[in-house]
Amino acid sequence: MKKKRNQILIGCMILCAFLILGSCAKKNPDKIKAELLPLENNPLVTFRILFNIGSAHDPSGKEGLCQLTWSMLSQGGSQDMTYKEIIKKFYPMATQVGLRVDKEMSVFTGQVHVDNLEGFYLIFKSMLLDPGFREEDFIRLKTNQLDYLDKTLVSNQDEQFGKEILNLMMYKGHPYGHNEAGTLEGLKTISLEDVKEFYQSHFLQGNVTIGLAGGFQNTFLNKVRDDFSALPEGYTPLLNLPELRMPDGLEFVIAEKQTPATAISMGFPVTISKADDDFFALWVAGSHFGEHRQHLSLLFQKIREERGQNYGDYAYVEHFFQGRGKFPATNYCRQQQYFSIWIRPLANSNRHFVIRQALRELKKLLEEGISEERFELTRKYLLNYTKLYAQTLGERLGWKMDSKYYGYKDFLAEVQIRLPKLTHEDVNKAIQKYLNMENLHIAVITQDGEALKNALIANTPSPITYANPDMPEEILNEDLMIQTFPLDIKVDKVHIAAASDFFQKEGLPPQDE
Amino acid sequence: MNKRIYLFLCLALLFFLSLPVSSSDIFPYEYKIEELDNGLKIVSIPLPENPHIISYYTVVRSGSRNEVEPGKSGFAHFFEHMMFKGTKTVPREVYDDFLTELGAGTNGYTTDDSTFYFVVFAGRENLEKVVRTEADRFMNLYYDEEMLKTEAQVIEGEYYASVSSPFRRLYELMRDTAFEKHSYKHTVLGYLEDILDMPNQFEYSQLYKKRFYAPDNIILLVVGDYDHTQLMDYVRKYYSSWERSEYTLVTPVEPPQTKAKTAHYDWPSRTLPRLAIGYHGPSYSDEDKDLAALDLLAQIAFSQSSPLVQKLVIDEQKCLNIYASFPDRRDPYLISFFATLRKEEDMDTIRDEIFTELERMKTELVSESLLTEIKSNIKYSFANSLATTDGIAGSLVHYINLTTDPGTINKLFQLYETITPQDIQDMAKKYFRNENSTVVTLKGGDSQ
Repeated sequence: MKKKRNQILIGCMILCAFLILGSCAKKNPDKIKAELLPLENNPLVTFRILFNIGSAHDPSGKEGLCQLTWSMLSQGGSQDMTYKEIIKKFYPMATQVGLRVDKEMSVFTGQVHVDNLEGFYLIFKSMLLDPGFREEDFIRLKTNQLDYLDKTLVSNQDEQFGKEILNLMMYKGHPYGHNEAGTLEGLKTISLEDVKEFYQSHFLQGNVTIGLAGGFQNTFLNKVRDDFSALPEGYTPLLNLPELRMPDGLEFVIAEKQTPATAISMGFPVTISKADDDFFALWVAGSHFGEHRQHLSLLFQKIREERGQNYGDYAYVEHFFQGRGKFPATNYCRQQQYFSIWIRPLANSNRHFVIRQALRELKKLLEEGISEERFELTRKYLLNYTKLYAQTLGERLGWKMDSKYYGYKDFLAEVQIRLPKLTHEDVNKAIQKYLNMENLHIAVITQDGEALKNALIANTPSPITYANPDMPEEILNEDLMIQTFPLDIKVDKVHIAAASDFFQKEGLPPQDE
Repeated sequence: MNKRIYLFLCLALLFFLSLPVSSSDIFPYEYKIEELDNGLKIVSIPLPENPHIISYYTVVRSGSRNEVEPGKSGFAHFFEHMMFKGTKTVPREVYDDFLTELGAGTNGYTTDDSTFYFVVFAGRENLEKVVRTEADRFMNLYYDEEMLKTEAQVIEGEYYASVSSPFRRLYELMRDTAFEKHSYKHTVLGYLEDILDMPNQFEYSQLYKKRFYAPDNIILLVVGDYDHTQLMDYVRKYYSSWERSEYTLVTPVEPPQTKAKTAHYDWPSRTLPRLAIGYHGPSYSDEDKDLAALDLLAQIAFSQSSPLVQKLVIDEQKCLNIYASFPDRRDPYLISFFATLRKEEDMDTIRDEIFTELERMKTELVSESLLTEIKSNIKYSFANSLATTDGIAGSLVHYINLTTDPGTINKLFQLYETITPQDIQDMAKKYFRNENSTVVTLKGGDSQ
């Protein structure tokens, strides 16, 4: 009984510390913020040090600077220790420092057994607060970033490449308009001095949220708070982003390379995010239309299950990054979001057909909406599936942080309140309000781009053949409609460029001659 | 105190058991093992203190290792896809809707030795429905030839999804070159020519099911918030009528490698060059020292904190990464070393650096202090993997497949403790022989 009382007392103390930290941040945006999840007796402690700074804060002409700067912290030495020494110290603890950079947000992560908490934190703190900024680390990490853009992304990861081209198309001239790793031209101009300057001007108290979960003690929390409070006061105001640019009709970019398979991503910006009341309705629509890697996805059912075209087909009503399992990763919050469809690679011979099929399904979604039955099924699915979202300490912290960003006390709890109140009509209204099929960006990675361009513009019929000679008649009948489904594509809206020309500079590469 | 916070703190207190990284048992959870008359084994770890979540795994002890007949590579994986086609009483659409309503995290995945299916869901009130539906799916799977032909095209699509990965090609080439007879020669995905022939394999698929999808080749693993007695009532009710297969698989014995092998692949477009060096090693064992000693050796020589990796990745920056790979397998498998290089001209240098390091392992005894650090790393790594219900299940299925006994985890980690510097040296001499080596390289080109 006494032990239980003590445990509750410790919990209360940690809660008080949290409230003090929270109230400081509310009163003064220059001050540090915190999200805490104390779990007495938990053998692990997880850190998430969140920054409201991302690649959108890269200075013009220095694209990639944010990621390179943060990498110098997570994969470089501190003032007292070289990176080699840090790795050696971390090794027996089986830990490391992770980093993820998005457009307006970055997060440093670490997890350690409580046995090693003090030892880990001492190093972790020095990496973030007293970085070494050594020339040799700078060269290594800059080379990594250059190689990723120049060799890996364009040549070894077509699925990701397609999504990045879509990003380039949607955010032309926008702070989101380059890959987090930057551009080759921008990266090459970045010096170690640029990195130090970026760190000094952005590593400010008001930009930081300390996330701590697991079996830490109150004294430890105080130490972390004191250490990070030594950072300069100040904060970077939320970016004033330009208005979203909708595509003008169906705009294609074809990245041309020798490949047996075609990767496709399509989408457009939307004026809605988790912060909006309508989000819940649109989310149900998106889940019905293309829930990530689930049989629920209508696109998955039509393209993969019925026709065996590829490994999967999905749609998203906000930026999606896959975390553990198939669940959405956290800490990718953005002010501006987009709707997208992801068609996984398929045989080149069927590319035109599947582009038509995906757009036809989108048109049907707009014209017919979601049925009452599917609405109920999808709602029930989301109500249950979201209970699995936050299982690890990192996920639980991440969702707490994301909830705050979008103005909720607890977004996952809000789901359980909002979804039961949704109606079928709400979802269909959201579809009409936020989605369209006339104006889309469509990124295609394929070979013989000119042939695809000509076929698209001419609306050439695009029949497909199956390994199964006895396909159901209803599918074959539907195929007849899909293969001639008319698309209004203008000749000047199909841009072809060599795959190897992407990410050289800001924006899209010039059209192939 | 706020009621919710109080409840939360109480749950949190109860949620995690202290993981005994300093005790002799690395796997701290009590488990129950039961077996039905038809041979179906059940491993159960009730964690009622962990609210809501239940992980329900079906472990089919059949993977690409079972593809011993010519032309059948990739079939275990293909059959995994077919397992989602439903039954006559619960057709695919109904099964999909069942999982959708449940909001379950669900999937299947195939490895060399096994095929795993999982349903992770919330709410013990759903347990019976899950047991009933999964039992029906495994016992009464139904599909016709047309369904198989369509799904075969999906496999082709899955092949395309990875076709832009040079690592996949390097890995395929390593296995194809190193193995002569054993089915580990091909990867889980299989050879493209076999994938393209899958639409014609309806009859074989029925034979495959009869041989391997039977209770005497399957283990259920259930972890989470449920009552064990209740679980067993459901399992007996729904699985007892399943009939045994009695099929015995004979995998070809890989003959000893008698001369060093090499292979090369020219990747058509730009990519970082890659190198892989593999040696035939032992199969999984929690009794023989070979695997345990080589596991530790791989860490000593090729972990991020090892002198060689630090030299080539951080000091000289000739490599993006170097690492060892020695997965546990039921039959003797490869211990391999992979490197991603910055420049093609360093290929021979890096290869020789790896060889030199392996030679050093034969001639110099590693220090006790380094060995202690390595043992610490593997213990904490494993402990970290047990942080959630599904983490526990996900870690356990691997070992259950290997030996059918969860106790193998504690036996293996106890074996690690007994490994000495001399054992490491002995195993280096035993396995890192030139005639036992395979070197595979991949270089990029200029085509777009």
